[in-house]
Amino acid sequence: MAQKRALPQSKETLLQSYHKRLKDDIKSMMDNFTEIIKTAKIEDETQVSRATQGEQDNYEIHVRASNIVRAGESLMKLVSDLKQFLILNDFPSVNQAIDQRNQQLQALQEECDSKLTALRDEVSIDLYQLEEAYYSSSSSLREANDLPLCEAYWRLDLDTDAADSLAAPLRVSPEPSAGPLQPAAPAYSHASGPGPTEHA
Amino acid sequence: MATYSLATEPRLRALEDIEREIGAILQNAGTVILELSKEKPNERLLHRHAAAFRASVQHVEAELSAQIRYLTQVATGQPHEGSSYSSRKDCQMALQRVDYARLKLRDVARTCEQMLEN
Repeated sequence: MAQKRALPQSKETLLQSYHKRLKDDIKSMMDNFTEIIKTAKIEDETQVSRATQGEQDNYEIHVRASNIVRAGESLMKLVSDLKQFLILNDFPSVNQAIDQRNQQLQALQEECDSKLTALRDEVSIDLYQLEEAYYSSSSSLREANDLPLCEAYWRLDLDTDAADSLAAPLRVSPEPSAGPLQPAAPAYSHASGPGPTEHA
Repeated sequence: MATYSLATEPRLRALEDIEREIGAILQNAGTVILELSKEKPNERLLHRHAAAFRASVQHVEAELSAQIRYLTQVATGQPHEGSSYSSRKDCQMALQRVDYARLKLRDVARTCEQMLEN
């Protein structure tokens, strides 16, 4: 399964250096720990006085303990370097992370758009009522040829049906065969007054 | 970010576990040395912590070797050029559409209120 890939020299060298650092740090830890345990053994016969030997052992154990801590810190740095290398070069996991992020963002976008579409459908119904209220009130300023949007829409539909329907475009209640407005027409005809207040 | 401990990827989580284990290795070594410095060291405690030290060191070595081996197989030397920028931009525009719709609805509501006051 382990295929030999043609890695660039720098990457190959880098991974080999990681391996070497790992081996060196582990060896340092084990050796220093073993030597500390050996030094802790009390010997009766020494070449120097017991006080000198004690001082020497004390200093040696300090140095070896510092070596163990240094090796531990070097291992932490190695783990940090491996994390960085993994994030940058582990393509399978990077691809997976990108796909996951794309899916999340697409789902959010589709949710926003579907909600906006539903909102548009609701608001368009209310807008017809608001326009009727506005254009029938005395505060509206419009020319004689200006039509509310709902009226213009009906006129367009009626024009496509028959020529006779041109004579009755300005009535409030549309004909039942108005086509696209049929679902909204009954609500429209009953809500001429309090329409805006329902949605305030 | 100062610390990135919320790793979702399993290999990154494994590396974080190895970091914690290195801390445990040093703690075990310290406990053993402390126990040896006493007049009457507790032998069972010594053996237990020394065995834990040895097992942890071997486990850390095995795990890190496996990670380096995996990286040797997977790394190509080329930079990764994928990104989620396009979907992020689409999502950002969808959110701006929502904000725009909210602004317009607010204007309509204000207009209706003004009409009612008049």
